[in-house]
Amino acid sequence: MAEEQKKRKKRKTATKAAASIGPMVKESITSTIRAREEGKQKIAYTFIVCQHDEILRAMDIVPVWTENYSGICGAKRDAERFLQRAESLGFSRSLCTYALCGLGFDQWREELGEMPPDAPWGGQVRPDFMISSGQILCDPRSKWYQAAQQFMPDVPIYNIDLPYPLFDPKRDHREVWGYYHRYIVKELRGLVSFLEEQTGKKMDYDRLRELVDLGDRTWNLIHETYELRRAVPCPMGTGDAMNTMVPMCFMMGTQEAYDFYLDLNKELKEKIARGEGEVEEEKYRLLWGGGLPAWYALNDFNYFNSKGASFPAETTYRMVVPLYEMDIPETNDPIEHLAWRWLGYWTFWYEKARKRPGSEPDVERLIQYIEDYKIDGVVMHEAFSCRTWHVGLIWQLHQLAKIYKPIPVLVLGKEGKKEKKQRELPSLVLESDIIDITSYSEVDTRNKIDAFIETLESLRRARAA
Amino acid sequence: MNKQSKGMAKVERYYENYGSRARELSAEGKKVIGYVCSFAPLEMITASGCIPFRLRGDIHEPITKGDTLLETIVCPYYRSCFDLAVKHRYEFLSGMVIPHACDSMVRSFSVWSYSLNLPYFQFVNTPSVVKDSSFEFFNEELKTYKKSLEEFVGKKITDDDLAGAIQLHNENRNKARAVYEFRKPDPPLITGQELAKTLLACSSLPIEESNRLLDEVLEEVGQRKKSPLGKGPRILIDGACIDNAELAGLVEDLGASVVADTICNGSRDYWPKVDEKKPPIEALADRYLDKLNCPKTYRENKTGNFEEDIKARFADIGFTAKEFQVDGAIIYLYRYCDPFGFEVPARKAYYELIHVPLLHLEDLYSAGTIGQLRTRIQAFLEMIG
Repeated sequence: MAEEQKKRKKRKTATKAAASIGPMVKESITSTIRAREEGKQKIAYTFIVCQHDEILRAMDIVPVWTENYSGICGAKRDAERFLQRAESLGFSRSLCTYALCGLGFDQWREELGEMPPDAPWGGQVRPDFMISSGQILCDPRSKWYQAAQQFMPDVPIYNIDLPYPLFDPKRDHREVWGYYHRYIVKELRGLVSFLEEQTGKKMDYDRLRELVDLGDRTWNLIHETYELRRAVPCPMGTGDAMNTMVPMCFMMGTQEAYDFYLDLNKELKEKIARGEGEVEEEKYRLLWGGGLPAWYALNDFNYFNSKGASFPAETTYRMVVPLYEMDIPETNDPIEHLAWRWLGYWTFWYEKARKRPGSEPDVERLIQYIEDYKIDGVVMHEAFSCRTWHVGLIWQLHQLAKIYKPIPVLVLGKEGKKEKKQRELPSLVLESDIIDITSYSEVDTRNKIDAFIETLESLRRARAA
Repeated sequence: MNKQSKGMAKVERYYENYGSRARELSAEGKKVIGYVCSFAPLEMITASGCIPFRLRGDIHEPITKGDTLLETIVCPYYRSCFDLAVKHRYEFLSGMVIPHACDSMVRSFSVWSYSLNLPYFQFVNTPSVVKDSSFEFFNEELKTYKKSLEEFVGKKITDDDLAGAIQLHNENRNKARAVYEFRKPDPPLITGQELAKTLLACSSLPIEESNRLLDEVLEEVGQRKKSPLGKGPRILIDGACIDNAELAGLVEDLGASVVADTICNGSRDYWPKVDEKKPPIEALADRYLDKLNCPKTYRENKTGNFEEDIKARFADIGFTAKEFQVDGAIIYLYRYCDPFGFEVPARKAYYELIHVPLLHLEDLYSAGTIGQLRTRIQAFLEMIG
């Protein structure tokens, strides 16, 4: 395995910003090890997308994003030994492999009393406490740390329940979100109390307010920056976005994250001014329409690129929407605001979905991106071990096929005149896993990509004719 | 099919022709509301005048149409239920209630609702934690659920309606618990297959009919002087939804007796009752949030000690194992079951703690695996003697 890692070349990125992410992530892992050695700050295992980033930063907590570390093990093709260890403990391989990798790693570290041999990037440090999340988003987030307590029973857990109302075409979500908001506020305030107890420090609410404001500005900046990718040719694709998601998911509420997107914004504008695309000769514009990537096979994005395909947009890890377009109440209380931001994010597409019978929010989001980013085809990835992000994708493609039909359709064109338009939108579903490399076949994947590109090409020719 | 049959013969009829009574009632104009998981608050459905009906999958039916709409990484039991539903096995349904139980349910909610396109479809957002704030939230969520049913049936659900429904469902639970008593003799007076079929048949009937059926079963089995089984190891089945009698049949074919369970189609659902002294909504919140002991609900380890934590979390297993004097246990889970799957090592540790030998089986919800299961179970039974 180590030999293979040495031989593997670094993936070519289109932007300098994406290329800078590797060292940034490595430093963030190293900094947790440093923090453990220094012992001045408390260390928390936790998950992304919990609306608690600013709270953690305001309390000077060092977050260890456990999904991230498993992703690193996967990207370095070194997850298998941790997965096998988890299996030997009785966990099924069909469960979330992020969690399995983390559990296998933790059990090994606890057994040895030190990091497992050759732990990727120095390893994942033992936490002082764990913050899990019982969302309606992901079961493993609620179960992983509880399972980890078998090897770390002295490490306490705070489980934040963060629900949001599911989409109901017949009911306005705002009828119920008042009590959702009250509950989330209590959960977040409970988190603050837990952290105060664990750190022996009181929350500085002025600082929290500043960080929430910084977080809000970062949300908007990310949105504006990613919208630049509408340009033809597209200056940055999903391959790069799987790097540039790092500050968005792991560093929110920090100036470093904000500055990163300022730099990325500048870089993209410069590339657009130069007419420089992700690929030299852009032939097809694709949407990564769902599914977490196979972290050990990000080179597949370069393979797409080599065929003239670029990915101007993705739904995966685009975990922000513009605050100024959110329909949420104003408040000066930062905790209340975080709760509204959470609800505003998850219900962002509800209004649109209600207006189109038979649609739903995830489908509306796809339609919006398809139109805004001039998309020619949709690619999804079905990771076998994760139900959270990968159930419902087939159905979404079915819904899309009702709109993007393989026959010419009449649409409202310029000056309100009806025009005949070919809107067929081919799709491709790749299958493997987030970090379990045994589920992946490069040959099969690339054969599928080749066939998909041939379909796109024949459509392109038909349209040109 | 003899419509005059009683007791176990009637159980057999409803088990084999699952949904036949609900179909008749639907044809008479009654509204039948489907559910798949124990977290669906049934009392509310009964109080609204509708009939709760638990969907089953079918291990003998290959999943076909369902797989064209729903990913194969969904729990295979849930996929089978969905497959049968889209193949019109449950065409008599007027609606469905899907609770927040697991990712397979939550993430496929839209797929179910659009594919079946029933007049009523409701998600009940059950919290994942048990604390004051989650009770407050769940009370509100139950009111939303109540309102949705009121709009659907066009009439108010009063506190009296709810109290009446709670009483009926509690009666049902008492009677089901009484059937479990027949498992205590060695060998038991009721087989594992019979009990599984009884409870499954009951979950396909209106609550009053279910109560009458349980009375008949209690009377019939109560008259037995001799066990239908020979003396053999007494087995507890631990797991999630097991909606058929095949596993119990397999264990009993191999000379053991299934005498206890902690499954959703068994004691997990049938034993906890609603407190009739509390205001109805509050009492329902209490049962469905706290009393249902499902791994989906996170329960805090307050001791900082693993052994104490598992003693608290799995106390029901220990209590049942002792009460029914079990000689061994089988954890039977489906592939892709995250809530239970992450608990397997902790459950194994608990069984070690209470000195109950354990067999862990992960299955695919298919009749095709019965041969493999037979070999594993046979070896286990030989081991525990």
